[in-house]
Amino acid sequence: MQTAEEIEQRIASAQRTFDQLRGEMGRIIVGHQELIEQVFVALICGGHCLLEGVPGLGKTLMVRSLGEVLSLSFSRVQFTPDLMPADITGTNMLTDDASGRKVFEFQRGPVFAHIVLADEINRATPKTQSALLEAMQEQSVTVSGKMHRLENPFMVLATQNPIEMEGTYPLPEAQIDRFFFKLLLQFPNREELGRIADLTTAAAPAALCEILDAAGILQMRQWVREVPLAQVVKDYAVRLVMSTHPQPKPANGSGGLAQRFVLYGSSPRGLQSLILASKARALLAGRPNVSFEDIRTLILPSLRHRLILNLEADAEGVNAEKILTEIVEQIPEVE
Amino acid sequence: MDSLGTKLAALLDWERRKRREETLIAASFAAAALAILLAPLNFYLPVSWLRWLVPVGLLVAVAPWFFYRARWHRADSARTLVRVDKTLRLDERAVTAWELAEHGPPEGAGSLVLWQAEEKLRAVDPRALLPRRWRWPAFALLPLLMLWCALLWLDFDRPNDMRHAGPPTLAQQLREYARELQQKAKDQNLRETLNLGRELEKGAQKNLDAKSSEETLKKESAQTAEKFSAAAKGGAGRDSFSTSASEQSLKDLQAEITAARDLLELPESSKNADLGQRWGERLAALPQLKRQLEGGEQSGQALGQNELKALLDKLEQQVSGELDRRTVIDAQQYLEQMMKQGQGAKGENYARGGAGAEPDPGANGVREKNLSSQPGKEPGRQDQEGRALPELRAGASTQVKGQVGEGDSSALGFRGKPTAEKSTVSPAEINATYRRQAEQELNSERVPDGLKETIRNYFMSLGETNK
Repeated sequence: MQTAEEIEQRIASAQRTFDQLRGEMGRIIVGHQELIEQVFVALICGGHCLLEGVPGLGKTLMVRSLGEVLSLSFSRVQFTPDLMPADITGTNMLTDDASGRKVFEFQRGPVFAHIVLADEINRATPKTQSALLEAMQEQSVTVSGKMHRLENPFMVLATQNPIEMEGTYPLPEAQIDRFFFKLLLQFPNREELGRIADLTTAAAPAALCEILDAAGILQMRQWVREVPLAQVVKDYAVRLVMSTHPQPKPANGSGGLAQRFVLYGSSPRGLQSLILASKARALLAGRPNVSFEDIRTLILPSLRHRLILNLEADAEGVNAEKILTEIVEQIPEVE
Repeated sequence: MDSLGTKLAALLDWERRKRREETLIAASFAAAALAILLAPLNFYLPVSWLRWLVPVGLLVAVAPWFFYRARWHRADSARTLVRVDKTLRLDERAVTAWELAEHGPPEGAGSLVLWQAEEKLRAVDPRALLPRRWRWPAFALLPLLMLWCALLWLDFDRPNDMRHAGPPTLAQQLREYARELQQKAKDQNLRETLNLGRELEKGAQKNLDAKSSEETLKKESAQTAEKFSAAAKGGAGRDSFSTSASEQSLKDLQAEITAARDLLELPESSKNADLGQRWGERLAALPQLKRQLEGGEQSGQALGQNELKALLDKLEQQVSGELDRRTVIDAQQYLEQMMKQGQGAKGENYARGGAGAEPDPGANGVREKNLSSQPGKEPGRQDQEGRALPELRAGASTQVKGQVGEGDSSALGFRGKPTAEKSTVSPAEINATYRRQAEQELNSERVPDGLKETIRNYFMSLGETNK
């Protein structure tokens, strides 16, 4: 049994690692500090992220840099309408063995990496999308009846372009619900844009240092699950998730916008994501337990993609952020 | 972990104590507010001083509900510790440690939470960390209680006519007297008195409602007194009874007439032969009636049932008329006295007398001669009137409605000491009085019908055994 001092050192180590990672990533990526933290949280929670942002904001660079810093293999898949499932999972190829005989050999697809960047996932056909989503869920692919395990840790960062929706195949809500986080990339401000110009048009920066490896990430995943969660904090998270559903009689006077604009609220996956991510955040902040602030901070990335809104919301320009923000303001921490 | 448990328990105990105090204050405030709202109902309390205890009683009544509603829950403990976390910026360490400690010594990261919470809370003073915050009921309670005391002190919980506003006014006295007069008239079936009493009350109430002056009231009372005088003179001209008979003897006679009438109502009385014998027996027990009949033309023994009834009716009419006339005269004298002196002891004494009782003792307090109260110097005679023992009557007519507050008082001084002499009341008269009282009680519904005859025979036999 570990003592309190050992636990404290462990937590300090996790915090230190994360600080180093942020510092290292900050040498390459300008801004997006919160995004980096949330991606790392998703990674140590074993989840996948859906990134939404206009092209050119550094999504690919960020994911690649993350892979380098964490000593994880990285692959990028550009989704197009003609992309086939085998292009993602891999396929059996006819090759010559050592004796010159023709044999089928499984050629791994780009999904066999620790971190997979699925660029513009909504451009591929639903069949191709499902191949990737199946790999996300099962952490394995089955080709010709043979199952092939994926890398561990395995994380998919899928991207969507919010401005070019024509000719795309939007992910169904049930598939979007499988993503741990939905993260929004904001356009950099003036100062950040200036720094981007400096970094990318001058001499290439030095290579990134490796901060953590796969074993360390797996270790941190175990630590995350050991972070204690108080009943009152858990109850707070539950009430927040319940408030996303339109109810006949809203509790605590909440659910004004949810009552009007939400067709279906968050699934239990949303609660799992919220609590697990809060534990991870507490760990990375050097705290031994989850706080209300962790829950409030991570409710948007955890639940914004899990609310199904009605046409009235679309007509009035009400999005999930507004609804979740109102819910957080109205629901008290202790009932 | 023990010190953490002790510290957390101290924090929660302090919060519980504060809640009990707040609840008690809220209950006290509610009791005080209710006491003010229900103040007009204090009039119905059996004893006057009980109204000072109304808030205490209300507090005892409402406090259980307040304490039940404010009882401590587990969520209150959680809320308290969350507040501690926020105040000390512990990021929910205290509440997490409290929950973990409930399930025994935790392992892993839980032990670190407990250790850090213990470190942070070691030097915390619960009273300084969670100071009392008095709500508005605490500040409003004392002024509310003072307001309630002031309302009671100034008798605002009492009807207008019963407040501490000094002695009752002339109109109030007159109204009370008129009510007593009416009550007496109803009890004794005095028609003229009843009408005049109503008129008198109407005038007094009119004066009270209009808040007229005493002079106006005296003028109106003088007119009413003239009506009383006219009624008295008119009564004297009708079938009036002997004016030498005292009022008590008239009342006795009235009761005996009622008793005699019962004999005529019995089924056996239809047989004239038995009727004469029974009538004679009954008459022996009714000395006043017997005296009247012997003094009149017929004694009744030779008359039939109907004739006897008619005779008794006529006699009763005469007695009622005489009583009515005398009551009217007394009322007239009271009004005249009142008009002379206004508010004061004399008027009050007349009111207390209930019209028709003993006459006013006079200004110097010396009681006037009254045959029923002076000790006798000679053996009593059976024909002496006014010696009968006072009748015992229960009911509202024997009660005089009192007025709350200090009133004027008068003292009567008696000089001389009684000397031991023979009794002035004969046994026969006592027995007759007992028989008469028994007859009156039998006429009421309190005695079962099957026992009436038995009781009547017993009292009839009292005088016979003495003989």
